[in-house]
Amino acid sequence: MKNRLKVLRAERDWSQADLADRLEVSRQTVNALETGKYDPSLPLAFKIARLFGQSIESIFDDGEAA
Amino acid sequence: MTTATRKPISRGTWVRAALMGVGAVIGAATMISVDRLSDAGLFDLAQLSWSHALGLSLGGIMGGSGLFAIAVSFNARLTATAMDPDAKSAPRAGQTMFYRQQGAVMLLAGLMMAAPVIAILVFGETPPRGLAIAMLAGLVGASLIQTMLNLSVWNRADEMMRRMIAETGSVCFWLLQGLFYLWAAAEVLGLAPALSSWDLMTVLMAVYLAVSAGAALQRGLA
Repeated sequence: MKNRLKVLRAERDWSQADLADRLEVSRQTVNALETGKYDPSLPLAFKIARLFGQSIESIFDDGEAA
Repeated sequence: MTTATRKPISRGTWVRAALMGVGAVIGAATMISVDRLSDAGLFDLAQLSWSHALGLSLGGIMGGSGLFAIAVSFNARLTATAMDPDAKSAPRAGQTMFYRQQGAVMLLAGLMMAAPVIAILVFGETPPRGLAIAMLAGLVGASLIQTMLNLSVWNRADEMMRRMIAETGSVCFWLLQGLFYLWAAAEVLGLAPALSSWDLMTVLMAVYLAVSAGAALQRGLA
């Protein structure tokens, strides 16, 4: 699934490890999320949305037309 | 005319290559030692069936990997590098203990795989009954410890690692239930020889290790 995680992270000048610490996951999980190799669970998606102060739909794009 | 710029080899790639190199050296040294011990008459490798040889090999691989992980886990920087070759930051708290725990799981699994085969290598196809009973009791105990360690690893893992563990189990089940069914049907029809439970178990472990390695590579965990 496409997402804006890398962009949002870069805006705050966070490394992948910094974001991983804030989300309480491993750095590899953050990397897998950013590269689309892994889709987050719903709780993790909500955690990401709250951390960046945005809606889940504005961060993640499943490619389906609204 | 422009010259194509080659992408430099990443640090993570060098680390992975170094780890594979270490593994290859240890593996080669182990094989040479085992061969020399066999030549010296300590045991006869030729008496091993294919599944005994596979079990011993898997035991060696898992035990060796586990020992390496435990040894590395006593250095935080080496642990961070081994766990995450692409990481650029300092090791995180708890990484060394988690890596040591995973090493203990692998080492124990390796010992459990190798122990019955070593017993028949040393004592022959039918080890003394008392020894066999004592060894089995030890393996039951080791299985319980292994289960507790695996549960602990599961509890400490994040959601991606848990999903990877669960998917590995599912893939192995679907793959092996099909293959074992076909073999069993061929066996009933008299078209294939019977397989022992040790044969099936070693095939299961080999497939599980291969699938979990592939899943870890695909998700960037290796």
